[in-house]
Amino acid sequence: MTQLIQNLILGLLLSGVYALVAGGLTLIFGVMRVINIAHGAFLILAAFITYSLWSALGIDPLLGILVTTPVIFAIGWVTYKTVAAPLRTAPMASTVLLTFGLALVLEAVMGTIWGNNSTAIRPGYGDESFTVAGLFLPKAQVYGGLVAVLVLLALGLILTRTWLGRAIRATSVNPDGAALVGIKVTAVAALVFALGIAAAGAGGAIVGVLYPFVPGAHYQWIARLLAIVVLGGMGSMRGAVLGALIFGVGETLTSAYVSPSWATAVPYAIVFVVLLIRPQGLLGTRLRADAVAA
Amino acid sequence: MTRSMQVLTDPLRVGRLLAAVALVLLLAFPLLTDDAYYQNMVILSLVFAVGASGLNIITGFAGYVSLGQGAFIGLGGYTIGALATRFESVSPWLWVPVAGVVAAAVAVLLGLVSLRSRGPAFVIITVAFLFLVQVVAINWVSVTNGTAGLTLPLPSWDREIINLPFYYALLAILVIQLLMTWWIRRTKLGMGLIAIREDETKAATIGINLPVEKIIAFAASSVFVGMAGAVYGYYLTFIDPRGMFSILISVQIILSLLIGGKATLWGPVLGAFLIEPLNEIANNSFGGGNMRLFLFGGLLMAVVIFMPKGVLPAVESLLHRRRTAGKAGLVGARIGPGGSLTSLTERAGRAEPVSRGPGAAPLLEVAGLTKHFGGLKAVDGCSLTVPEGSITGLIGPNGSGKTTVFNLIDHTIRADSGDVTFAGERIERLPSWERAHRGIGRTFQITRLFGEMTVLENVVAPQRSFSWQQLGRIAVSGPEADRAEELLEFVGMRAFRDQRAHALSYGQQKLVELAQILMLDPRLILLDEPAGGINPVLVERMGEMIRELNSFGTTFLIVEHNMPFVLALCDPIYVLARGATMASGTPSQIRTDPAVIDAYLGDDFQLEQEAAT
Repeated sequence: MTQLIQNLILGLLLSGVYALVAGGLTLIFGVMRVINIAHGAFLILAAFITYSLWSALGIDPLLGILVTTPVIFAIGWVTYKTVAAPLRTAPMASTVLLTFGLALVLEAVMGTIWGNNSTAIRPGYGDESFTVAGLFLPKAQVYGGLVAVLVLLALGLILTRTWLGRAIRATSVNPDGAALVGIKVTAVAALVFALGIAAAGAGGAIVGVLYPFVPGAHYQWIARLLAIVVLGGMGSMRGAVLGALIFGVGETLTSAYVSPSWATAVPYAIVFVVLLIRPQGLLGTRLRADAVAA
Repeated sequence: MTRSMQVLTDPLRVGRLLAAVALVLLLAFPLLTDDAYYQNMVILSLVFAVGASGLNIITGFAGYVSLGQGAFIGLGGYTIGALATRFESVSPWLWVPVAGVVAAAVAVLLGLVSLRSRGPAFVIITVAFLFLVQVVAINWVSVTNGTAGLTLPLPSWDREIINLPFYYALLAILVIQLLMTWWIRRTKLGMGLIAIREDETKAATIGINLPVEKIIAFAASSVFVGMAGAVYGYYLTFIDPRGMFSILISVQIILSLLIGGKATLWGPVLGAFLIEPLNEIANNSFGGGNMRLFLFGGLLMAVVIFMPKGVLPAVESLLHRRRTAGKAGLVGARIGPGGSLTSLTERAGRAEPVSRGPGAAPLLEVAGLTKHFGGLKAVDGCSLTVPEGSITGLIGPNGSGKTTVFNLIDHTIRADSGDVTFAGERIERLPSWERAHRGIGRTFQITRLFGEMTVLENVVAPQRSFSWQQLGRIAVSGPEADRAEELLEFVGMRAFRDQRAHALSYGQQKLVELAQILMLDPRLILLDEPAGGINPVLVERMGEMIRELNSFGTTFLIVEHNMPFVLALCDPIYVLARGATMASGTPSQIRTDPAVIDAYLGDDFQLEQEAAT
């Protein structure tokens, strides 16, 4: 029983990280209708940057988020301006190919700079645990999960409480209408892209503390993220949080109680099944599709 | 321009000449060099050429972008691997066709489960599919030997010619693959696939059986790829899950297709022979790994951004521009006077003129039709009857649900409830293409031609009924094309037959769309604003054509805002308001109905009418 509760808590903490990163992915999709396959690559990139800050300058990886996130935000903004901007009008299948190409290039960049060996960030508290009521909770996971939830709340506040947030939501519902009421849609899109990628960046810094990583790990991550986003319904923030909860807890329990060799197949199977049975996700609604054509 | 210059810039002749030269070179290649490095490079290029050419059918023609194509090479390799290690007395070559069947069977399965997803969701499904197949290959140890991989028996023939059998087998598979692609492009099946790529919903309304066509395309796109994968596996003599199901194989295949040119015959081959040498250079001269990733990732981004059409189409349009330089474009030409349908009908074998009117038996009956979009009741209990042989009008204010009623009648969207009876048969559960086969043709308010197809191809695309033979029938020439030309003559658009549809003006597109649905031999034609957005002369011509078709027995249901047009043409007329029929009757009844004037026509309409009489 204690074991189960412990696993559940660890699953919830992991879900916080998943929700943050998947939230970034779904935000970009909601506003730009772009499925950013490079999202996982940005996450691993942030983990490597965090690693360099920690190993070269001794900056605590979780405090390092304050540095990593703005850096990744800037990289995201530049990426939008140079690569992603023409995509706003391109067919969606080609945007998938383009961001997939971007993921490959990022993987190569990371392999060139940091090498393809497994890298780990081990801060002082890396091996310590909290022991509460017989539960055994690694400090890194507790801190990581809490930081992720804090950043996610900050993102949520930006989206619901600021003018920028309203502009973003307006743009995601109707870009033409948003432009008519004075929102500079291209600027909003650039900000959203950068914000979404910054969320992956913040998540990446935390992930770097929790697991060892290699440049090629981005495939695994994008698979998880797509499974989460697809579960919750693409473009829905609340859906991403719900999907992350289901996926995070489910994954922790699966690897604890079921064979880990098939566990790698779980995200792919989820993507496959959900897109086939309920393409709009759990929380998504089908929109009127004929009005666009008429 | 001299004759010799014309020969040099005729894309067809240039293409054939180059293809012949390439084939001779490929046939002779192994005899020219015995350098293993180059032989290996060309053998891999052939594998990727088959892979890309297969992908072309599902991605280039049908428009479904797949990042899982490499899975079929892997499946082919594993089929030959698993069978050859089990039955060591049998020649492994025997398993090559089996590998093709296995790949096609898995592709059909993938096609079946992904029938409902399009666009980006489909791309993601194909990636998930590839990784799932890889996980199975890793875990199904009894068949695949897991991550340790399978070692095939070594070839039994002379080491001197070790590569030749692999080479010529792959070349033969590529030739068959290309012949199939060439044939598909010219058939009704091919037209249907391209129609699906251009506008899937519209394709269904002109009688194209979407699931069947897509499943065939999936099988055709993988059968020879599986065979090539088997030869490739035999050539490698060692297969393992990481190598055979690497996503980079899929990336290289799709890159070959995109760079060479989607939906072209030779593009995928050209692309494969361009990319594989680059891949070898990156591997051998720059240490592989990261360099390969830079190459593939960078190329993929560059192609999507800068050259979405690919090399061959770019060269083709350049040649075309050279050829037509200084000649007047056809797009600005005048619309023809239109042919008489009487002459057409003799050849087309239509029925004798019949005269039936408002009193006749109902051809289409709609009862209690309802469609809600969230809280919005777009259609709310609409009922109407279209008598056989009539020209029935459907009018009403903007947003009253007229187009939605059309969408429900031809199943472009699914109704929440309500009955639709056509010629005595309940059809509300039938998909769009079955309704088209029963004789319902429909035009769209904003014309929906297949933009990248020529005018002629647009008109030959419809399928009057479903049969397997018909799918294999040649569409771009012969009786189908002759019929299409007659219909184009009727609407006055024959001079434009080789223009791409997106180059036409709106009015011209309306005429072509009418010819397109006439290809269905429809008993009932639904016209959504036939007179909207076109000049008065064309409006008049449109009215004449409707009358002429009607005099031969075709029934019409017309949505239109041009009241003089409707009042002169239609009887009976239904008035729709807030998704329900509020009035119906003859033109004179409608014109004077106080409720209709209040809801739609307005007081000044009545005044104008009085002033006119």
